[in-house]
Amino acid sequence: MATSTDSVDLVDGEIVGNIARAALFAALVAGFSYVSFPNPLAPNIPVTLQVVGVFLAGIMLGPLWGTSAISLYLAAGAIGVPVFSGGSAGLGYLIGSPTLGYLWSYPVAAGVVGLIVHRGTDLQDYTAVGVPLLVGAMVAGTLVIYAMGTVGFAVIQDLGLVESFTVSALAFVPFEAVKIAAVIGILRRDSIAAV
Amino acid sequence: MIRARDLVVRYGETTAVDGVSLRIDDGAYVAIVGPNGSGKTTLVRTFNGLVAPDTGTVLVDDTPVEADLVAARQAVGMVFQEPRDSFVAATVGADVAFGPRNLGLSQTEIDRRVETALAAVNLDGRADERIDRLSGGERERVAIAGALAMEPDHLVLDEPLTGLDEPARRAVLSRLEALHADGTSVIVVTHDLRGVLEAADRVIGMTEGAIAFETDAEAAREELAALDVYVPPETAPPTRQSTPE
Amino acid sequence: MLHYQPGDSLAHRLDPRTKLLFQIAFATVAFAYTTPRGLLAVGVLGGLALAGADTNPLRVLWAYRFVLPFLLAAPLVAMLTLGSPWLVPSEGVGPALASVRNLVVVVVCGGYVRTTSIADSRAAIQRTVPGRPGQFLGLGIELVARFLPVLQRDLLAILDAEAARLGTDRPLRERIATVATAGLNRAFRRADRLSMAMQARCLSWNPTLPPLRFGWIDGPVVGLSVLLLTAAVVRLAGLSPLL
Repeated sequence: MATSTDSVDLVDGEIVGNIARAALFAALVAGFSYVSFPNPLAPNIPVTLQVVGVFLAGIMLGPLWGTSAISLYLAAGAIGVPVFSGGSAGLGYLIGSPTLGYLWSYPVAAGVVGLIVHRGTDLQDYTAVGVPLLVGAMVAGTLVIYAMGTVGFAVIQDLGLVESFTVSALAFVPFEAVKIAAVIGILRRDSIAAV
Repeated sequence: MIRARDLVVRYGETTAVDGVSLRIDDGAYVAIVGPNGSGKTTLVRTFNGLVAPDTGTVLVDDTPVEADLVAARQAVGMVFQEPRDSFVAATVGADVAFGPRNLGLSQTEIDRRVETALAAVNLDGRADERIDRLSGGERERVAIAGALAMEPDHLVLDEPLTGLDEPARRAVLSRLEALHADGTSVIVVTHDLRGVLEAADRVIGMTEGAIAFETDAEAAREELAALDVYVPPETAPPTRQSTPE
Repeated sequence: MLHYQPGDSLAHRLDPRTKLLFQIAFATVAFAYTTPRGLLAVGVLGGLALAGADTNPLRVLWAYRFVLPFLLAAPLVAMLTLGSPWLVPSEGVGPALASVRNLVVVVVCGGYVRTTSIADSRAAIQRTVPGRPGQFLGLGIELVARFLPVLQRDLLAILDAEAARLGTDRPLRERIATVATAGLNRAFRRADRLSMAMQARCLSWNPTLPPLRFGWIDGPVVGLSVLLLTAAVVRLAGLSPLL
């Protein structure tokens, strides 16, 4: 016996696809936070891939769905899905952790990268975008991450900006170039299944 | 009743379904067989509007599918290949409730449907278990329950037996026969007919997007020889089938 | 690792919306009263909250140990000066108080994680955030929780294969690209299948929301949260002579 169908506000097929991709992307960024590579310069500070996921979200999903995906990542972490570094979770990470500025910067950075690569909110074919624009977009995204991260650290730790940058960022900066190069490498492989 | 007329579905250059017409009555048990890439999956996905045909129409209970997608998706339940990726929740009960919830049913009705659907696949009382911890055969049955909770007239299963061991196969097949006996029409897409040929009252063979033959199960054996389909001889050792597309 | 464990503590019986409100109120009041006496009061309240959640603060602390180096480094760096006398302890007081406060806030929020199931959190979000954004967030969170273990297994398998086939002495950039590409491909394939399955089951913008129970027990906690927020606002507005 069929239920009355007029009252069901079906989600459009294309949007279902975008929701599924955003959710899987958020889960992948979370998965990336478990994957760490030994840092060749400082073995005690491992290189994780979250930021690679943030950049890719902006590039592959575009500014709107990319930002949505990364927001989903934060929301899932806030309510207890173990998505943050080392498999931790909790609202405290977003309102009380010294690294909160970095977390809040991720959706913004995904949006900035997406807006630059797609030159607006309408999706373009990112495989046709030149390397200089991609690199420029990711450098801008990196600046957003470190700016928000440093300011967040300074505010919540009652510390100066330079000191905050020294403590929270300095050791990680050299690897941003490696991550950007890795993203370019990913996009240049023709094995990517995404359309 | 599902009726398809002159269906054509193209993906770019390739024609996945090429002029198919067919009719599936309520209460039928139909096997759709054919080699990889013969268009079986694409064909059944037109039955509930997941794939829109380029030309031709599909009518479910005399209404064009695209005219009322919600009605079509309630009438035609679908179980996908590799169900691991079709679960939306971590626990059995929460996943089976997904469809009824989307229909905006009352919580009482949702609970009733979850209970009934789980009973129909012999998973009574296991609503709180984590899907990750289930065996392949149990997962397949949870996926079937998720479709049954929509209370469909037709149940379409895409390669439901792939990768299952013999006891799990038999469990799934016996559940399908029970559903069929209760009046649900069962449509099994497969390239492996063990246990299906005996139960089906009709076999539709497909090659290159078109219907190659349509016959009752008895006559099907001869026709099937021409297709790349596993047909069970009287005493066949079970062979491992490769996963299609 | 900190995760949800079923139980019957006070916090388990609270509505998740009450617990979310309390966390925000608690953090706000901790920010407003970041003084030795203020933090003592906040610390006692946080201890009580965790006791109500039947949660051992030390276990939570262990789960959040990755934050500790930053909390220790901040006051140390603040004390350092270039040139004599090199160390100015008074400069470290503000950052040290901030570290204590932040630690207390993060740990108390751990009580929520331990006492609230994903399904309840999902229901709370969907009932708090209106319309389509609420449905997107609620469904999305449940999907992230569902697929995170699946993708973790994918990534582990990819890492194993990569290490076995190509070795670990290739450039870092290449290793990252190899792992991420394989991870992306699997995630996108799974997303396409999930999308089909959700459409077949009529994914809608207006589903029946999962049930939540707002009981009498929530009343006092909501009241306390409002009180804390008021106290914080009074202090931040410069009106309070207290503490």
